[in-house]
Amino acid sequence: MSKYLIYILIPLFLFSACKSDKQKESDFSQEFEIPDSVIYDGNLEISEQAMEEIVQNISSPVEIAALIKSLGVPYSNDYLATTDYVDTYNTSYKMALGLGIYGADLGYQNMYNKTGSVLDYISAIKTLADGIRVGQFFDFTTLKRLVTNNQNLDSLMYISVQNFNQMDRYLRENNRGNLSSLIVAGIWIESMYLLGGVVKESPSAEIAEKIGEQKIILSNLMLLLNNYDRDPKFKDLINDLDEIQTIYRDVTITYEKGDPEAIEEDGMLVIKQNDKQFIEISNETMMRIIDKTAEIRNKIIHL
Amino acid sequence: MRNLSVIFIFLAIFTLGNLYTAKAQSGQELVDICSMIAGEEATYLKEFPVKLDAAKPGEELPTSRFSVVLSKDTQYRFTICNSKDYSGQAIMQLFDNNRLLGTNFVVATGKTYPSFDFKCTSTGVYHIFVTFKEGQQGLAVTMLSFVKKL
Repeated sequence: MSKYLIYILIPLFLFSACKSDKQKESDFSQEFEIPDSVIYDGNLEISEQAMEEIVQNISSPVEIAALIKSLGVPYSNDYLATTDYVDTYNTSYKMALGLGIYGADLGYQNMYNKTGSVLDYISAIKTLADGIRVGQFFDFTTLKRLVTNNQNLDSLMYISVQNFNQMDRYLRENNRGNLSSLIVAGIWIESMYLLGGVVKESPSAEIAEKIGEQKIILSNLMLLLNNYDRDPKFKDLINDLDEIQTIYRDVTITYEKGDPEAIEEDGMLVIKQNDKQFIEISNETMMRIIDKTAEIRNKIIHL
Repeated sequence: MRNLSVIFIFLAIFTLGNLYTAKAQSGQELVDICSMIAGEEATYLKEFPVKLDAAKPGEELPTSRFSVVLSKDTQYRFTICNSKDYSGQAIMQLFDNNRLLGTNFVVATGKTYPSFDFKCTSTGVYHIFVTFKEGQQGLAVTMLSFVKKL
């Protein structure tokens, strides 16, 4: 009897061991067995590998919000996109763009530690993330707890940024890079809207320069979006952004190369780049860019 | 009795195997460790997980490459965390389009830094290359954080 028991137990144990290993291997990819109804199966203009090289950290709402805050500009709810229309976003295209927009707004609120309306935004993000089947990466419960208790606000920023990165990685690893690029586009458009709103209220050379340097970011974003230009919805968005890119032709960026230097400051290795970059943007050009961006952004929100 | 011993041995292997799995560092743990090393003044932006096999004799070192857009007048922090489950020590190099700007491993002194700051003066695309020292097998996370506007 015990001999038969061994024959049953051995394969069972071996199978269990193999399964554990498999789980360990997939730590980074975090595969979920959720059917993807929105997998992009069109031909890509450039390879997935090349896409990977372009897309990483193309625009960060954290940096834009940090710049605005560092200039002493007071926080304002007026710059934020309304969440009133979230329930009408009924396609993955609209949802992904909306995710980006609300993600940027969440970054702005987090930077100022303003939790008053954060709950509306994390609820909106959760709804949209569920809509495109990446809701499993958005830790709504923890974020809601942090907001409700108004505690550990650094964690609020850390978890929400990380959740967006996880969604982005999952989409790109599962042939849904089209949605990932829409999220990135949404973040960029809303960040530009924020910059525009702030510079109109509180004119600043730093923000004007920031808007000017977005010429570089936009050209990378266009490279990303152009990959999906056979999709009519993408084509519309590309055409809209193309109008901004046309205005950006009047922005001049020049460079002066310097030698990088490495120094040690308080035990920390610090690398100074020493290049110089000059950004020339007239007030008129800046206002045209701001107005066009606002027009596109408002169109997206009221989709 | 002998059969019972065999069952006991397999049970022991199974249990130890599971214990090992439970203690293995996950990618998330590495990210959390990296975030702590980066410090409170650094705001997390993105992590780049790297898992590479050992280099084969006569071949180039296995390398992972990532590209990021960094902004002018901004101080960033790159933090490199190695998994304790592998012997490899990660070396990160930061390039612009054609030049090496910095690395966490200073060849002249042989010192490896767990992190380094990069004071960016030009907005553009930068490239991160990660290898493991002496081509060893390794698992690591390179984390990009925002420190401050300059």
